[in-house]
Amino acid sequence: MTDCLLSARGIAKSFDQNRVLHGVDFDISAGQVVALLGENGAGKSTFVNILSGALPRDAGTIVWNGAETVFRDTRSALDAGIIHIHQELSLISSLSVMENLFIGDYRTGRSGVIDRKSLAAKARELLARVGAAHIDPRVEAGSLSTAEQQIVEIAKALARNARLLILDEPTASLTPHEAEALFAIVRDLRAHGVAIIFISHRFDEVFAISDRVVVLRDGRVVGDRPVSQTTRAGIIADMTGRAFTFDALDKPAISAGAPVRLKAEAIADKGRVGPISFALRKGEILGIFGLVGAGRTELLELLCGIRPLAAGRITRPDGIVPVNSTQAWQSGLALLPEGRKTNGILPSLSLAENVAVARRQKQGAILDLGGEKSLFARFRDSLGIVSEGPQQPVRRLSGGNQQKVIFARCLASEPEILFLDEPTHGVDVRTKADIYRQVQDLAKKGMSVIFVSSELPEVLALASTVMVLSRGRQTMLAANDRLTENDVLTAAFAQA
Amino acid sequence: MTAATVIRFVRTRREATVLAMLILVFLGLTFASEFFLTGRNLSNVARQISVVGIVALGQALVIIAGGIDLSVGSVIGLSAVTGAIVSATTGMPSLGIVGAIGIGMAIGFTNGVLITKLRINPFITTLGTLSIARGAALLITNGNPQRFDNWAAFLGYGKIGGLPVQFILLVALTILVWLFATRTRWGRNVYAVGDNARAARLAGIDVAKTRILVFTVSGSLAGLGGLLLGGMLTNANPNLGLGYELDVIAAVILGGVALAGGRGSIGGVVIGAALIGLLRNAFVLLNVSGYWQTITIGLVVILAVGADSLNRRTEED
Repeated sequence: MTDCLLSARGIAKSFDQNRVLHGVDFDISAGQVVALLGENGAGKSTFVNILSGALPRDAGTIVWNGAETVFRDTRSALDAGIIHIHQELSLISSLSVMENLFIGDYRTGRSGVIDRKSLAAKARELLARVGAAHIDPRVEAGSLSTAEQQIVEIAKALARNARLLILDEPTASLTPHEAEALFAIVRDLRAHGVAIIFISHRFDEVFAISDRVVVLRDGRVVGDRPVSQTTRAGIIADMTGRAFTFDALDKPAISAGAPVRLKAEAIADKGRVGPISFALRKGEILGIFGLVGAGRTELLELLCGIRPLAAGRITRPDGIVPVNSTQAWQSGLALLPEGRKTNGILPSLSLAENVAVARRQKQGAILDLGGEKSLFARFRDSLGIVSEGPQQPVRRLSGGNQQKVIFARCLASEPEILFLDEPTHGVDVRTKADIYRQVQDLAKKGMSVIFVSSELPEVLALASTVMVLSRGRQTMLAANDRLTENDVLTAAFAQA
Repeated sequence: MTAATVIRFVRTRREATVLAMLILVFLGLTFASEFFLTGRNLSNVARQISVVGIVALGQALVIIAGGIDLSVGSVIGLSAVTGAIVSATTGMPSLGIVGAIGIGMAIGFTNGVLITKLRINPFITTLGTLSIARGAALLITNGNPQRFDNWAAFLGYGKIGGLPVQFILLVALTILVWLFATRTRWGRNVYAVGDNARAARLAGIDVAKTRILVFTVSGSLAGLGGLLLGGMLTNANPNLGLGYELDVIAAVILGGVALAGGRGSIGGVVIGAALIGLLRNAFVLLNVSGYWQTITIGLVVILAVGADSLNRRTEED
């Protein structure tokens, strides 16, 4: 291929003894959108990090713009026009939007003083190009919503004359509406000849915007087809090596006579969420759906005593209503928080400790370290955690495996009620299926589960009862027997 | 263990680098000075290591939990004079011990409460108590040294079976703190809090209690340090321990504790303290100016930490 903007051949990479990439071939032309798919740990991040100069490769060649090139660091890749927008956004929140846009290149005159007026003008021009003229370039970047920050990141890429843009799960925390706006920008960039590598776990997006789909599995390319020749089932089969759909899950039946484990009566916090009422029975799976910002996380925090209750009443059979997370865990609640890196993992601590940490708080002062190791081994087997051993620091695992470790932490505390906040966020299909199968088994054994998800098919596949929040209000609470996606979405957009 | 794993261990653990330095300095001194390997000198070295080491044990817990305690030097001064005054006025040296450790414990606890309840940054809080404790020590003594030569002072100058009492204390406390840090729930919570405080809280750890605990331990051990230092000199000076926090923090960092929290071993901290003590001794024995001693300790810290982060960078990416 001569018209290739970038052509990678035989890219290989190992970390210690662990071979992550086995000779990956990859081409992309100007004005093309390529979706890069694969399970967590398949090597997607490693591969794009090599392209953007963040990681050195062990073997292979990269031809950029017709010439063989070695990008020694991200700086040289940036100068060439390869821009990698990470899943965790990298704007500096205390600087203004315009300072972020031109960071490292303020184009000062000889005096070295920044001309704020012309900087603001240039910033407005860029923001207009990405359809975000409403963003004031002078405000602090940290005051913007996640979606706006994402768009500023893209504008920043334009400021650097991006020729290849790598988007790593750009829609993970966007609402469907915001995601659509993002895609409009992506299509516009494509029309202007920018090449785009798009990493996502959401298939509908992949089909909506990409020209080609490349699937990685265990560090090898297992599929590389134009999007017109791919199907959802085909991609899943490529990614996992087997076919899987959510329909395989069957919802547990809860008897009307099952005892109530937790009852909320018109609970609310100071302004973000409420009033909300429901009763959770033994073995029930309550799925909470809502757009980002609808107050889902806040509701879980209220129930777990992390957020103070401003109104209403929570009752439990044993009478214990926790007022902080320590009490919550001790009284038989377990929470898998949203955002595993910031709120979930203890990065330097070992896998065994990450699993045992919550359970310890209910136990005596002297630890049973041997018991913790076998505890880890048990969950490693039942959840399929891929690791080098119980002493490995958890930061070395891939995202999906980290999520399994935190899931194991919840299960290890043997909770009565399990709270899961976006448990499948940034997790591949196989891990998703593993987590949801486990949830169902646990519910069948009598555990009650409350889970929050932005992925509607999952909510409908798994929940026995569905609650929908819209702007902090409860707009639906219904048994999940004849609910359709349409019903739930209507409630999610309702102006309650 | 194969040779490769040994090399990997040495490359990736700062303790190992510092232990190698320690052995090197020890061997160097053995050949360079005929006085080094004498019982008298070695017990001097042991005493020098002991106070820094004991106070560093508490500091290590604080730093592992993601904090820092700058007040330890002043606490040493205040608890030394408190111990001396209490035992002199009551005539009961045992009360002096209680007073010295108690005042350290109280300051440590106050640090912890200010940091967790009022949410003042640890650096600022302990900078404040550094000043307050030193001022209090000067105030209650009017700036005058206090006699301190009763049996409580024995902890500072005495020997049991040829070993300085404070060295025995260091060994015992090291084992105790090591067991605490590796085998108990509270000890492991210290690591979790320093590693990711938000995640630790959401996993059910009582972060505030953990932080108060480490500052209280650090204050108490600094109190004990003051008692030992005062006893060693049989004279409690309100200016005792001036600038000590720097040696203590240097020992902790040399021992491989990450200043960002979450990582570090208790054994490493004692090795770090030993290296600093040995270096100080080296300059006395070799008759080199004390000014060089200060410069060298600074260089050693930068060298050890620099070598370590170079290694870490290649390992992490």
